[in-house]
Amino acid sequence: MNPEIVPNYRKEILREDGMLFVRTEDILEIMIKIPLLVASLIIVAFTMPVQTSFSSTRTLDLILYSDGSAHILSKLDVDPLDPDFEVDLFGPSIDNFVAIGENGFLLSSEIIGDKATIDTFGSSTITINYDIQDLISKDGRVWTFSLDSPTDYSLLMPPNSIIVGMNALPSNMDIINEQTKLELSIGYSEINYIISTTNPSTTNPSTTNPSTTNPSTTNLGQLPIDVLAFALIGVSIVVTVTLAIIMIKRKQTKSLPVIQTENTFEPKANVVSNDIETIFNLRPNMRDDDKQIIKFISENGGEVLESDLRKKFLQPRTTMWRAVKRLERLGVVETSKKDLQNLVRLKKDVEEEE
Amino acid sequence: MKTVATFALLILVVSMVFGGMTSNVSAQDDPTILLKIAKRAEEQIHNQISDDSSDKVKRLFEEGVQKVSALENALENDDISSAKEYFLSAMKIFTELSRQSSSTTPPQVETNTVRNDVKDPSNDLQRLQVYVTSLKTIAKKYNTSIDFSELDELFSKTRQEINDHQFALALETLFKIKEKIVELNKELREEASKQEFQRAKKYAQQYLEQLDRLIENAKKQGVADEIIAQLESAKENLSLADDKNKIIEQIRKIISIKDQFELTKNDRLESRVLQLEKTISILSQIDGVNLDDLKDARNTIQTIKRHLYNGEFETANDLLRDLAKQLEEIKNSS
Repeated sequence: MNPEIVPNYRKEILREDGMLFVRTEDILEIMIKIPLLVASLIIVAFTMPVQTSFSSTRTLDLILYSDGSAHILSKLDVDPLDPDFEVDLFGPSIDNFVAIGENGFLLSSEIIGDKATIDTFGSSTITINYDIQDLISKDGRVWTFSLDSPTDYSLLMPPNSIIVGMNALPSNMDIINEQTKLELSIGYSEINYIISTTNPSTTNPSTTNPSTTNPSTTNLGQLPIDVLAFALIGVSIVVTVTLAIIMIKRKQTKSLPVIQTENTFEPKANVVSNDIETIFNLRPNMRDDDKQIIKFISENGGEVLESDLRKKFLQPRTTMWRAVKRLERLGVVETSKKDLQNLVRLKKDVEEEE
Repeated sequence: MKTVATFALLILVVSMVFGGMTSNVSAQDDPTILLKIAKRAEEQIHNQISDDSSDKVKRLFEEGVQKVSALENALENDDISSAKEYFLSAMKIFTELSRQSSSTTPPQVETNTVRNDVKDPSNDLQRLQVYVTSLKTIAKKYNTSIDFSELDELFSKTRQEINDHQFALALETLFKIKEKIVELNKELREEASKQEFQRAKKYAQQYLEQLDRLIENAKKQGVADEIIAQLESAKENLSLADDKNKIIEQIRKIISIKDQFELTKNDRLESRVLQLEKTISILSQIDGVNLDDLKDARNTIQTIKRHLYNGEFETANDLLRDLAKQLEEIKNSS
C-alpha cells in the first residue's frame, strides 16, 4: 500500500490505538497554514477597525494667517456611548475654542494644556473650531508650517504667501481669492513659505489663475521686463523708506536709556513705559492682545497679579494663564507666587531674540 | 483543492490589506500642481539671488532649476513617481536657499517688515470674525434674543480703520470687540447650559436602557451576583443624577465596572444602535423621505434591541449591518 494514499478512516483507527502517526506533509501543511491564517487574521483585524472605528477625525481644514497663527476646523466622529470626549489639540496655545454637537448645540468643554475635554452626551459627531499659535515658526523671512496630521486635510495659505519649500506631496491645489489652498495627506508635512510684500498677482502672472494656465508652458522668462523693473524700483524705494524710519526709531530708542540714567529721580511708571517700547521692538511678533497686557502691567508699576489681569481683560482663567505663559516664553515677563496668587512681573533685562 | 483555497485566502487578505492601504496614500489628482508650486518657488528664489550672491548659492539654485526642468520633463512623459522625486528634491533645495538668503538679508529690513505686519491688525479682525460667526450660528440654533448688531458695527468700524491705515484706532476698537464677545459668550453659554441638562438627561435615559440590556445579559451569562449588584446600584445612582456633572460621574463609574469585569463586548453594537437611531432622526427631518421606510427602520431598531437584550449579538450585528445599508439607500434616494 502506498503510504501516501491514506484513507481518512485510517487516522481514526490510529487514534483509537493510542498511536501518534504523523505524516511529514501534514506537519508542513499545518506549520505553514496555521501561522499564515493567524497572520492573515491579525492583518485583517488591524485593517478592519480603520473602517469602523469611533473617535476618528472625519475632516480637517486649516487656515493660516500671515501673523503666524492658524485656524483649525475639525469634524470628528465620537462614540455616542461615551458622556465626554477628550480631543488632542495641535498645541497648547489655543484661543476662541468652540465645540458644537451634531445638532448645532454648543458643547461644554475644558482645555488643559493641549487637550480639550468636551461633554458630548451621546453626540456621534462633533465640530471643533479654534485658533492656535503653535503650528508656525519663523526663521528670518521664512515661515515654517509643520503638522503631523491624523488625517488628510486642507490648508489655506496666507494671502501673498509663496511656498519655497515642502516635504509633502499635495494631492490638489486651488486658488481661492488669491490664496493657495492645498490638499495634503495624513502624516507629517512641513511647508516653508515667505510672505511677499508685493502682490504675487503682479509679480507672477502665471499663478493668478492656475486653472486656466497650462503649467507646462509656464515660463519665468515670459515676465515682462518693465514689470520686473517697476517691481524692483518699488521694492528699493520701500526698503529705503523703511530703513530710514528704522534708523530714526533706533536713534530715538537708543537715546531714551541715556535720559533715564541721567535723571535718577524719574517716576517708576515712566521708566517702565519707556521699557515697553523696547520690549515691543525686541519682540516684533508679539500679539496685540499680549501687548495690551504688557502695557497694563507697565502702567501698574511693572507687576500685577494674574487675577487682576483677568479682571481687567475679562478673560477666563485658562485663557489668561496661557497668555502669561506665552509672554513667559517670549522672555518678557516672569511669574512668582504672592499670597498664594500668581504675580506677573515685567522682566528688567529683555534679551534680543535669536 | 486545499492549495487553491489557501491561495485564494492569500489573495483575499493581500487585496484587503493593499485595498485598505491605498485609501491612505495620497492620490495625486493633478500632478501638474507640483510644477506650479515648484515654478513659483523657483521664481521667488530667482528674485532673491543677485550678482553678489555666493557661487555656492548660484550653483545650488542652478541645481534647483535643473530639478524643476526634470520635473517638467517627467510630467510630460507621464512619469509621476519620478516627478514626485524631482519635486521634493527641488523644494528641498529652494528651502535651503530661502533660509540662506533670509539669514543674509539686512536685519533692519527684516524687523521693519515684521513690525508692519504686527501693526496691521487684519488677522486679529479676521480671527474674531470667524469666532463670532460660530457664535451667531449657535445663537440662532438656540433661538436666543442675543443682539449682535453692536458687534457688527464695531467690526465694520475696525475694517474702515484698517482700510484707512489707522491701526492704533483699529486696535482699540478690536479691544472693545473682545470685551463685547466675552459678554455675549457668557450670555450664550448660560442659554446653552439650560438645554444641556435636558440633553444630558436624555442621554442618561438611553444609557439606562442600554444598562438594562447589559444587566440582563450578565445574569444570563452567569456573572457573579456581586457584579450584578454593583451594576444595579450604579443604574440606580444614574437614574437619580440631577445635574450633568453627576450624570458624567455615574456613567464613568459604570464604564469602570464594565471594564473591570470585561462586560464591554457589546458596547460597539450599542454604539452602532445609537448612531443609527440618530441617522433615522436626521432622515426624518429631510423632505421627500418615505415615512414608511423610516417606520420600518425604527421597527428594525427595536428588533435589534430585543436581540441585544437576549444576548443574540450575531443576529443583532447582522441586522445592524443591513439597517445601515438601508438607511444609506434611503439617504441617497431622497
